[in-house]
Amino acid sequence: MRLKLIVVLALLLSAGFGTSCREKPAAAKPDPLARAYDSEPDWNDPQHVISLNYQQAQGKRVFYQYCVWCHADSTPAGPSNRSNLNPNPPLGNDGATLNPLSDDFMRNVITLGGGVVGKSTSMPPWGKTLSQDDIDAVIAFYRAIAQPPYQAPARPGPKYSVR
Amino acid sequence: MPAEELGKASRRMRLAFAISSVAFLVVLAVSPVRDYLRAWKRYERDYIRFAQSRPDTKQLLADKPFEIDQIWIPQMQVVDRCTTCHQGITQPTLEDSSVIQPFRAHPHIPHRVRDWGCVICHRGQGLATEVRDAHETTLAWEQPILPVRYIQASCGVCHRSDLPQTPRLNRGRKLLAALNCVGCHRLQGIERPAMLGPDLTNIASKVSRAWIYKWLKDPRTLTASDGSVVVNGYENEDEPRMPKFRLNENELRALSGYLSTLQTETLQPYKFDPREVAAWDRKPDLVEQGETRFRQMFCTTCHSLAVTRAGETKLIGGDIGPELTKVGSKANPDWLTAWLRNPQAYLPQAQMPRYQWSDQDLYIVTRYIESRLTDPTLLSDVPKLQSPTAAESQLGRRLFLEKGCASCHVIKGVASQADYGPDLASLGSKTVSQLEFGNSRMARTLVSYIEAKITDPLSVNTAARMPQYSLTPNDLEAITSALLSMSGNPARAGLENLILPAKHPQFRPAGAFGELFERYKCDVCHRFNGFGGTLAPDLTFEGSRAQRKWMVDFLKNPQTLRPTLTFRMPQFNMTTEEATVLADYLGIVMQTPNVNLEGVNAKQFSPPIVSLGKQLYEVKYQCQSCHTIGSTGGYVGPNLSNVGNWMNPAWLEGWLKDPQSLVPDAIEPRRAFTDEERTALTAYLMTLKQNGSTRTTAAAGRGQ
Repeated sequence: MRLKLIVVLALLLSAGFGTSCREKPAAAKPDPLARAYDSEPDWNDPQHVISLNYQQAQGKRVFYQYCVWCHADSTPAGPSNRSNLNPNPPLGNDGATLNPLSDDFMRNVITLGGGVVGKSTSMPPWGKTLSQDDIDAVIAFYRAIAQPPYQAPARPGPKYSVR
Repeated sequence: MPAEELGKASRRMRLAFAISSVAFLVVLAVSPVRDYLRAWKRYERDYIRFAQSRPDTKQLLADKPFEIDQIWIPQMQVVDRCTTCHQGITQPTLEDSSVIQPFRAHPHIPHRVRDWGCVICHRGQGLATEVRDAHETTLAWEQPILPVRYIQASCGVCHRSDLPQTPRLNRGRKLLAALNCVGCHRLQGIERPAMLGPDLTNIASKVSRAWIYKWLKDPRTLTASDGSVVVNGYENEDEPRMPKFRLNENELRALSGYLSTLQTETLQPYKFDPREVAAWDRKPDLVEQGETRFRQMFCTTCHSLAVTRAGETKLIGGDIGPELTKVGSKANPDWLTAWLRNPQAYLPQAQMPRYQWSDQDLYIVTRYIESRLTDPTLLSDVPKLQSPTAAESQLGRRLFLEKGCASCHVIKGVASQADYGPDLASLGSKTVSQLEFGNSRMARTLVSYIEAKITDPLSVNTAARMPQYSLTPNDLEAITSALLSMSGNPARAGLENLILPAKHPQFRPAGAFGELFERYKCDVCHRFNGFGGTLAPDLTFEGSRAQRKWMVDFLKNPQTLRPTLTFRMPQFNMTTEEATVLADYLGIVMQTPNVNLEGVNAKQFSPPIVSLGKQLYEVKYQCQSCHTIGSTGGYVGPNLSNVGNWMNPAWLEGWLKDPQSLVPDAIEPRRAFTDEERTALTAYLMTLKQNGSTRTTAAAGRGQ
């Protein structure tokens, strides 16, 4: 009887010892690493800051060099060219217009220009100026700042979570 | 011994044996159990389950080693075992942020994980196989993982010149230079410039003791009503170049007293003709005329003024020179006139160009500054200050050295102090034990040390001499990134071969052009072969771009070529001879080999070609979306109304072929024009000429 008790105790102890050595993943506590690579204030509400990952941050850089002139109402140089064009180009954060467009469609508009996909020919082709990575990054940036927020199309396969 | 006792003893013995053998078994079992429960093995099993729950299982598990995985780069002494747990790091299908860590793939960056490992950029302990050991500071490892917001610092360890992909790091480096950190600290990649703060040898001829007192107490001239927003500064980001020193009343009196005695040369007031002055003074709108002139000369390209619109105060203008909203209450009027005529006479290193002034312009602009750019209450909170006593002056002189003022400011006869603060050239590779945290209760990491030191220098060392900066959180992160990138000589062998040094090009032209270049300080705004400012267009290839006659006209009366630009070229009132010298030099020297000026003959452009070009411009390519001709068109590119007089046809052809080959960061998209289309467009553009319009604005500018 006593023997059994000792064995059980010993096993419990060793088990407890074993598990106590296993570390919890770092994400369990408030993590400074969780802070974003870059951020962009919501255009409609400057108090709301949207955090950007690496790719979106690269998209932000490309956007503010090439796209901002026609796809925003204020630009680094002041006035915008947007009101000057007919039809008016969509704002960069115009989720109602841009969210329904697929990534492939966006890629085509940017690479080949508006005329090719039946949009305004005022949108020039950027395929020879920007790299494929730049274009994908810009699309990621548009998706990140979209209002109403962009919902990625559902992916196949069940979601997995670590125990 | 009786038999029953023997039996008892042996039974006890057997029990003891039984227990000890079980104990032995248990002890022996501990190590395989512990081995089975190792974190990395658990993550390995989890990864398999994770992969099996996805449609691309096969790809995710192909070539997967079921053991400790490591990236070994012998040349750089890198042994990274991070991929033992971060198993999906190179799987392109796992890049999505919905993939749970530690299996998410690395974002697509120019460096491959397998070629470079992880710790070169992310820091941490690559050899470790425990979560805590790998990521955090332990007794044996003092370089924890770098927070993601500072990761650009790692790019800067090798890439010593600015990369477009690292805006935060670039901003930090720019701030370190602009805030004169190099006055006291040695910094990697930032040279000590010829002038940091202004030379104070003759400061008494410029400002009063009361103003010095006020400035030393709080080096800002503008404060919002709640005292928080201050504008005197850098890129409208509210940080004055002069930091706040923690001076007490005695020290303020002593320093202001000492400085107010500094005047080695008596100021010679510029003598206007008194009869002319009397005539100008009779004009009722003298000050308004001065303001108009101030605007026309585009002083605000470099200097900013606070403008209050709808209750909101905003700085309008550039950040190259100081903010001028209240300068009339600061500078002595005689000094101001002398300065405007020849800034380099007072400060030889001043960036301000030496304008060609007419006496009338000089007088009315000075009067405008003195009467409108003022604040009568500016010095109201300064106590009554008599002329300084000898004791005050002596204390002031001592303080000037003790507080480190001499690191940035020069006074003739006072030894200047370089490297007054600690050497920070290798701060980024310092370990925690090399830092002094004092009694502070912050986390013992390099990152928190740097953040605390910049936010409040006294927080880590109550005797710190470092002055107080008030940076926005973004700028704080930028400066921290830049400091973390300063790794000195990299500890990792092999890394030094990878360093891409920053280039520091120089452009110091000689001769007549060189003199004018110095006088008008072209390089403050324009760039020449990678040297100079970035406010205005790069002039490296200006000779290929612009026609000589246009350059002469433009220099004499500059106009804004891009409608969206708020900054404009100042009107220097150049003579024709000066403009010709500049245009000749630019035209002959600043050329690109990619444009052959003889290669395009404008005479071959026949009317049918021109009309084809017009059609292409307006219909097929819709250039008017971005460019203006006459009064219609877009605001993105330059106005093309006068392009036929402005640009060389060969440049236009080269530009239409590949804009980025001529100006690397040009916004204009590169398009697939055929050769005929390119010729036609060039032909059409060359017909766009405006005659005499430049003259009309010039006349309007001088129309008094």
